[in-house]
Amino acid sequence: MSITLDQVTKRYAGAPVVNDVSLDIGDGEFFVLLGPSGSGKSTLLRAIAGLSGVDHGRIALHGRDVTHVAARKRGVGLVFQNYALFGHMTVAENIEFALRVRHMRAKARRQRRQELLRLVALEGLDERLPAQLSGGQQQRVAVARALAHKPEVLLLDEPFGALDAKIREELRRTIRQVQRELGITTVLVTHDQEEAFAMADRIGIMNLGRLLEMGEPHDLYSRPATRFVATFLGAANLILARRTPDGIQMGANTVAAAERSPGVREREVVAVVRPEEVEVAASRDALSSGYFARGVVHEVVFTGALESLRVRLEDGAQAPLLAQADGDASTSLLVTRTQHEQRGFEVHPGQSVAIGVRRVHVLPTPLSSFTACAASAALTDTLSRQPLLAELAVRMKTRIAMRAEPQLGVPDAACAVDSPFVGTTAIASQTDCAHRAEWLLRRGAKDLLVVPEHAPVPQRVLIHWMGEAARSATLAVSASVLRHLSAEAVYVGIFPEQTAGAHPQHGMRELLDARSEAHLAHGLEMRTELRFGDVAPQLARRLAEAPAQMLIVGVTELTRFAQAFRGLLDGGQWPVLIVYRGSP
Amino acid sequence: MSFRQPSVLPGFGLTFGFTTFFLSVIVLLPLAALVLAAASMHWSEFVHVVLSPRALGSYRLSFGASFLAATINLVFGFIIAWTLVRYEFPGRKLIDALIDMPFALPTAVSGIALTTVFAHNGWIGRYLEPLGVKVAYTWLGVTLALTLISMPFAVRAVQPALLEVQRDLEEAAETLGAHRFYVFRHIILPTVLPALLTGFTLAFARALGEYGSVIFIAGNLPMKTEITPLLIVIHLEEFDYQGAAALGVVMLVISFVVLLAINLLQTWGRRRHVRGAR
Repeated sequence: MSITLDQVTKRYAGAPVVNDVSLDIGDGEFFVLLGPSGSGKSTLLRAIAGLSGVDHGRIALHGRDVTHVAARKRGVGLVFQNYALFGHMTVAENIEFALRVRHMRAKARRQRRQELLRLVALEGLDERLPAQLSGGQQQRVAVARALAHKPEVLLLDEPFGALDAKIREELRRTIRQVQRELGITTVLVTHDQEEAFAMADRIGIMNLGRLLEMGEPHDLYSRPATRFVATFLGAANLILARRTPDGIQMGANTVAAAERSPGVREREVVAVVRPEEVEVAASRDALSSGYFARGVVHEVVFTGALESLRVRLEDGAQAPLLAQADGDASTSLLVTRTQHEQRGFEVHPGQSVAIGVRRVHVLPTPLSSFTACAASAALTDTLSRQPLLAELAVRMKTRIAMRAEPQLGVPDAACAVDSPFVGTTAIASQTDCAHRAEWLLRRGAKDLLVVPEHAPVPQRVLIHWMGEAARSATLAVSASVLRHLSAEAVYVGIFPEQTAGAHPQHGMRELLDARSEAHLAHGLEMRTELRFGDVAPQLARRLAEAPAQMLIVGVTELTRFAQAFRGLLDGGQWPVLIVYRGSP
Repeated sequence: MSFRQPSVLPGFGLTFGFTTFFLSVIVLLPLAALVLAAASMHWSEFVHVVLSPRALGSYRLSFGASFLAATINLVFGFIIAWTLVRYEFPGRKLIDALIDMPFALPTAVSGIALTTVFAHNGWIGRYLEPLGVKVAYTWLGVTLALTLISMPFAVRAVQPALLEVQRDLEEAAETLGAHRFYVFRHIILPTVLPALLTGFTLAFARALGEYGSVIFIAGNLPMKTEITPLLIVIHLEEFDYQGAAALGVVMLVISFVVLLAINLLQTWGRRRHVRGAR
């Protein structure tokens, strides 16, 4: 491996800007770090270059640990967005800078310089000053300068940001060519997905300081694992759907019978439908793909090769649209059509069309939507506007449904609403909360979020499960929650008091297993803590130690649930997400 | 360059007229009067006054001490500016404001204060005395006073230039393998050199013209600690206006030559910087 990052964390003023990033980049690989501004990608690049230290974790270049090695000894070449050429030096002096520092002889320097100038196609410009060159030429000089000392790794920090489209294209090709020719491991930081697609062998997508997903461009585009990647990498319609044994059901219709898998538990999922995978036709029969719903075209935009439509679903479609490319919650479906499709069926605003879906991708996230649940309609309404819950819903690009249960918490009373619980059920934290939680869990709620009235957005999420059967589910839910928070994950392992001295190895192994599963299956990096005593009191004590914490706890057993959780839930100051995996 | 240049900004005629008029009344006219006053002397008389041993001694002290003071400020002014620009620390704003104090203080007050501290029984002077170092009433004291009053010029000239040095450049140099000192020597210094020269020039010019603070700490021994401005005042007190004017003209000419030389040096340096950049 050329570059190995192991749990790299960098904090500014206490808040993590790079959050537990682990990454391996192979020899000669062109790796692109993609993310919106403020996602921590530049900070990560600077950490690799050695220009900013890390608070936690390890960085290795070609197997050499460089975590505490100064930038000048790391043997990396760095190219900046604004070129950062030395204005008082000629092109030749700029390129030879690294060689001069290394006391290379003039003749050898000149030879190397000629070689580099040829590489970036700038021969003959040796004696110019940077101010006499165009932006594109300056950046070429910067690339040549960064390569002069034959670094093992080339780092590019938004190198095309200040250039106009045409020159950008040209320089992109040059850099890719140079990179292939030298076989040098390269990391490029950008916020431009087109650029990432054009250049990358592999893309890593960052948001809120976390490396969310990485993979080959095509895989990431066709099979994203998270909402963020789905909507950031190209346009996407996110739709709340149901996974049934027959396939994916959106609204009343099963649109993708192809993904049939009989053993699957029926549940709500988030489906990704790319705009180019949506088909419109005059009638249901004219569709060549699975029928989804009827809709009315309300916007047609011609963009050259493609035509972009917005189609508002007709009432009764019953498949809630969550978000589109721009992240706005919306009631209209985004559709793009090729010239060929346009010729086959012309549409204009106001037209009613049948909508078909060619391909559906289901996100593996266990968190689909929220349902605010309380004893009355008024209370559910208040709960749905609770700041933390609303914030989570916005970040997850999902909706909050309402469910009034007048009998909530009354023993032996049945549910008032005659439909199964879907998604994550939210209840308010109050006295008697533990009883209500048990009441809901016994009646089919799977994931239960308890939200206190005044809870800040968590900066640390504590994770624990009671019973190994809940481990995988808890980890999956935790990973999904943490993708939307810039918080650190801490696994709290708790063991009975008397084993404190007896079997510490056993505890350690469990911790390591949990960590490696979190990392392998969900890309979630967790810190781990060990405690001894009774579970609920230990968790409550840990939560009280610092502000802005949240607890995610996995449960497999409901006997004595209310007693055990009373101290944690009743009138608690912390959000608690209960992941229940057991027979109801 | 012609005066009839088309310009997007109207009002060149008016502002240029004003500039010439203002400069004439405030600067050129008094200088002309000075030269005229000196010109009314007989040539041998002029030479006698200007080249008298006492006058020569005062030139040496005035120019020597000013040069020394400007050089000291070049170094320490840069360090102060560097500290203020590059580091965040409590009280930074306070120190920044303190820099301008010598601007505001009547120079005589500075002189008296320095004398109090550095006289042989002063706070610091009393400890220097046994070491054989005499500050007050020697050329050292003169240099000290000149350094104090010209310090803000050096700091304020370098500060904005240092602010503009891009951190990227230093970081780029660092990733290319350069040591801190190498970066300083080859990246930072060339970038702020013009500003450093400006600071030096301003400090030097200010020190040359200084009178108020020096006369208190200098002791004013003819040939030894007597600066040229003081000698001029002594001539004036003897109602020897012509002699005073003659010395004034000599100072004027030498200062002009020195400042011009520094300016030319700077222009040359800048031209080398952006050789044919346009």
